[in-house]
Amino acid sequence: MMIGVFLCTCGTAIAERIDVERLAAAVGRLPDVAWCRTVGFLCSEAEKERMEGVLRDEAPDRVVVAACSPREHEATFMGVMEKAGLNPYLLQMVNIREQVAWITPEISRATRKAESLLAGAVARVRRHAPLETKRVEAVPDVLVVGGGPAGIKAAIELAEAGRRVVLVERSAVIGGLPVRFEEVAPGMECGPCMLEPLLGELLHGRLAERIEILTMAEVTGAVGYCGNFTVTIGVRGRGVDRACIGCGECAAACPATAANPYDYGLGTRKAIDFPFPGALPNLPYLDAATCRRAAGEECRACKDACHLGEETVRFDEPVTTVERSVGAVVIATGGEPIDAVRFPALRYGEIPGVYTSVEFERLLSSSGPTGGKLATAGGREPESVAIVHCVGSRDPAHRDYCSGVCCAYALKFGHIVASRFPGASMHHVYRELNLPGKGGAALLRRGGEKSFFHRYRMPDGISLSPGAGGRITVTSDTGQDGITADIVVLCPAIVPAEGTAGLAKIFDTPLDHLGFFEELHGTTDTARGKVKGIYLAGSCREPGDIRQAMLGGSAAAAAIHADIPEGKELEISPVCAVTDRERCAGCGICVSLCPYRAAALVPDGKAEVNQLLCHGCGSCAAGCPGGAISVGYFTREAILAELEGILR
Amino acid sequence: MSETAAFEPRVVGFLCTWCSYAGADKAGAAQLPSPDNFLPIRVMCSGRVEPEFIIRAYTEGADGVLVLACHPGDCHYKEGNSRALQRNRLLRKLLDSFGIEPERCRLDYVSAGEPEKFTRVVSETVEAVRRLGPLRLSREGGLNDGSNDA
Repeated sequence: MMIGVFLCTCGTAIAERIDVERLAAAVGRLPDVAWCRTVGFLCSEAEKERMEGVLRDEAPDRVVVAACSPREHEATFMGVMEKAGLNPYLLQMVNIREQVAWITPEISRATRKAESLLAGAVARVRRHAPLETKRVEAVPDVLVVGGGPAGIKAAIELAEAGRRVVLVERSAVIGGLPVRFEEVAPGMECGPCMLEPLLGELLHGRLAERIEILTMAEVTGAVGYCGNFTVTIGVRGRGVDRACIGCGECAAACPATAANPYDYGLGTRKAIDFPFPGALPNLPYLDAATCRRAAGEECRACKDACHLGEETVRFDEPVTTVERSVGAVVIATGGEPIDAVRFPALRYGEIPGVYTSVEFERLLSSSGPTGGKLATAGGREPESVAIVHCVGSRDPAHRDYCSGVCCAYALKFGHIVASRFPGASMHHVYRELNLPGKGGAALLRRGGEKSFFHRYRMPDGISLSPGAGGRITVTSDTGQDGITADIVVLCPAIVPAEGTAGLAKIFDTPLDHLGFFEELHGTTDTARGKVKGIYLAGSCREPGDIRQAMLGGSAAAAAIHADIPEGKELEISPVCAVTDRERCAGCGICVSLCPYRAAALVPDGKAEVNQLLCHGCGSCAAGCPGGAISVGYFTREAILAELEGILR
Repeated sequence: MSETAAFEPRVVGFLCTWCSYAGADKAGAAQLPSPDNFLPIRVMCSGRVEPEFIIRAYTEGADGVLVLACHPGDCHYKEGNSRALQRNRLLRKLLDSFGIEPERCRLDYVSAGEPEKFTRVVSETVEAVRRLGPLRLSREGGLNDGSNDA
């Protein structure tokens, strides 16, 4: 074996602190060292060129460069090796500048230490093997988790640019919360009218063939990294074939009824039914728990009613698991209102006529449980509606942040109530009003003359009690006269959607201290998550309105185009773990040690490391009791040889 | 050589490339004097260091070993440093039972921004090992009881 050594003096930086001549002579005596060249500035363009020439001419089997830190110039000299036609991994650097010359006051001691380290490098480099950097193309497809405004916007923008998208939605409906709202602030547009064209584009438009929509589905697992994720998705059986035309005959025939979760239990639905009128995709779903068959009955009314044939309805459809390969993931799982029962003084669930904002949205909606007809608990037209703002928001005992959307929708409620019941009075019970943006202030004028504002002081400054004639008394800590209302609407703080923590765990991406997904940077990079390849949109990262969600969806799509353009190649570093199948006993310790889920036991019981997933840390190799795992460039043999060399 | 008069210990260091090796480089850039008894080996992660590497360091003549890792929670590979800590704890117990002082097997944390700490930890370790004296192993690789000193 022929080892060539370059000894860089770094001008005087090394030459003044180490006896370079003595060092070169010592290196020359090391086994297999064919030559040792002393160079002034090896990293200079001229010397790199000369080095390349020397490597071509001499064609050494291994190369050692004693110079500065490998963190500074290992890549530089590996590049020269490659240019000279040598495998870059046949190089070993010795840091005789930062870790010898610059920290060792005495020349003789510095020289002796440099000799030891060089002896280690020469011994080690003999054990190096040529390694190959593999390249694979990044997967351009994208997974979007969440079919609300942020998710659908991201999906549309990505599909528009030719990407294939897998859109996973937990509920039976796409469009998120606003498709269940009658009107949306600040422009008072009809929510479904605004969103349905977008949803139609996803479902049936020219983009549909590039967007796979999985409803009633949840991500159950993920491995991989930016450019190459493998995601498993559990899809609950809908019980209805996609061929269904949505005529609704099955629902009409179904004898079983239960509370409808899409109306927060304010209305009912049949065991096989649509989530609500106009819900997309236009397919009913079968709730097996409600179905008479769950009670052992042999009911098949739905099957018999179906015009397309009984096969269109499927009983006992199991959860299916599908696997998809994607290069990036957009998390758009949104937020939800905090549970109002946490505020005992508001007596939500006890006093009839006290609703949360999302329930009130459904009561106002023509697709809601009352068809949009608003009435008091006693069945009268409401004469007075009170809205309690900031329930749990800006409240140190619950959520100290402003949820940002409540004031706007509260004023929207005022507008809708005023337009439907011109005689009714509207009472906003608030602490602060937050109406930023172009349309914000205009909302204040929407309520009309019978809109009143009552300020309260402390987060827990409001209590509700039943009043005379089925009305509700709102008492505030300002000591003002009690407000009497037929209906009280609570504006609960927006918190991360249920399941957020589980999803964060699956994608191994952190949440912030409030439980929302943490952005790469809270100000300058909010579309990217902390982990490469994970993108964030909408209220999963911070409570926001529909505009912000849509913008977030666009931003996530744009960030993906920037980070993972189609055709982008991923380099697979050879500094990764490889298992020796002969020596592997299949104990699985490596599997538990790997922080990247790269090590796995294959069906024959042996461990294998997925090179795409491996980051090369070597934790598995260090823990393998059989010594069956090796790490490229940092093999056991190489490290032990270096150890022996420096201690020789 | 008279060991008591001028014992110069040799301490092998295993430094993770992301934090500790970077911290060591910064100590160099800051020209902070450091004992030349410390011989660094760069690894990608402190979690790469096999207990065997440390044992082998002793049998090859090192008097002490210092593993330097990223601070807890800062590991470039998420948790390699906690693996290193687990192994270090176990190995120290084992070494102790063989009569090798646990001080000869130290693990500490040095970030890329802690050149002073690097210098301090290296100096402390070298001095601690110097106080312990040379590590004497028998030819069979076990602890020398003094009867068959080489």
